Amino acid sequence: MATRLGLQKWYPDALKQFTMYTVFDLLIKYIQEGRITLDPSRHPQLATYHDPCNYGRKSEMIFGHGYYEEPRWILNQCSANWVDMFPNRAAQFCCGAGGGAWLTPYEQERLAYGRKKVDQLKATGASLVVVSCHTCYDQFYKALRLTYGMENLQVKYLWAMVAEAIVMDQ
Amino acid sequence: MKTATINQDVTDRLEIGDVTACYTCATCSGRCPATGIDGFDPRKLVRMAVLGMKDELVEARWPWICTMCGRCEYACPMDVKIGSLVRNIRSLRDRDKVPGTLHKGVEAALKTGNNFSIPKDDFIFVMNDVAEEFAEEEGLPDFEIPLDKTGANILCTVHGKLPFGQTDDLKWWWKIFYAAGESWTVPSDNWEGVNWALYTGDDAAMRTMVGRIVENMERLEAKSLLLPE
Repeated sequence: MATRLGLQKWYPDALKQFTMYTVFDLLIKYIQEGRITLDPSRHPQLATYHDPCNYGRKSEMIFGHGYYEEPRWILNQCSANWVDMFPNRAAQFCCGAGGGAWLTPYEQERLAYGRKKVDQLKATGASLVVVSCHTCYDQFYKALRLTYGMENLQVKYLWAMVAEAIVMDQ
Repeated sequence: MKTATINQDVTDRLEIGDVTACYTCATCSGRCPATGIDGFDPRKLVRMAVLGMKDELVEARWPWICTMCGRCEYACPMDVKIGSLVRNIRSLRDRDKVPGTLHKGVEAALKTGNNFSIPKDDFIFVMNDVAEEFAEEEGLPDFEIPLDKTGANILCTVHGKLPFGQTDDLKWWWKIFYAAGESWTVPSDNWEGVNWALYTGDDAAMRTMVGRIVENMERLEAKSLLLPE
C-alpha cells in the first residue's frame, strides 16, 4: 500500500509510464488468459479467507476500491471447499499485527488484539486460513496459532494456494 | 486559546479535516478490536487530540498498539480520519523512541536498500541458491532467477523477510511466473518491497523508497510493476 500510495502522491508521471498490478490483478489475468491452469481438488480441506486491511477496507477508503471479490474469485479457482468468516470484507477484523504492530515489542497487546480474529476463525471450523498479506501470515502462523491452541491450523498465502494448484503442462 | 491552537496544529499537520467534528458517539470504540487493551479506545484518542493533549499522545503506547486497520474510520459518521491521526501522532515521536524495529528498519532501508541490511552479494547468493533448490524440487532445470534483466514485462520487489529467513516462500511466485511463461525481473539493488515508513509516519523516507522503485523501473525498462503482497 505504501508503494501504491507513494506512486500516486509523489510520482504520478511515473505511473503513466508503466502498468501497476496488485497480486490479485495479475493472478486473475493469468487464470483468465489461460496462462495457468488450476485444479481446485488439490485443496480439499475446509479453508477460510482473511481479508487484509490494506488491500481491503483501507484500499477502499484510500483508492476507492477494496479488493474483496478478487481474492474470493481466485480462491474459487483453487479450492472447492472454503467459507467466509463473519464479519468479512469491509467489516473484517484486523489480525492484530498490522500497521507495523508486528515489529513493536507489545506482544501481549498484539495477541489480545488477535483474539477477535481467532474467535471468528474458530467459528468457521476451517483447518486452513488463506491470507494475502505477509504480516497477517506471521501473526496467524507464528503467534495466534500457537497462543490460542490451533497448532494444527495451516496458514497459506493466496499465491501459495494458486502455485500448489497449478497443473503443469509438460 | 491553547486548545484551539493545538487543535489547529494537529488539523494542519494531518490534513484530516476537523477532529472537533467528533460528537463522541463511540461508534469507533465499538468497532475497534483493540478497545479495552491497555485502556485504549479510539474515541479517547480523538478526544485527547481535540483537547490538544499532543505530548501525552506522542508519548502514549496506544498509537503503536492500534494497527491503523481503519475499522473505526470506515464507520465514523462524522468522517474523522482516525487512521491519519494515529499516523501523525506516530510521526511526532523522536525517531530513537519509535518502538521495536520499525525505525531501525527504515534506517536500514535508506542506507542499504532493504529493511534487513542484507548486502547485495548475499542477496544475489541467496536468490541463486534458492533458485537452484527450486529448480531441483520442481524438476525445472532451465529455471533461473532473472536478476536485473532489461525490458522485462514484470518487475518484482521482494519482501525483505523472505531472503532474510523465509526463503521457501520466495518460490510460490517463481512457480506461477514459470507456469505462466512470464518475462520478469528482480532488481539486485533497492529490491525491498515493504515500506515501513508508512507505519512510522516518515514521509521523506517513504518517498525515497518509492522513488527507488521508480528508478529501478526506468533503469531496467520494465513494462509493469507487481506491487508487493
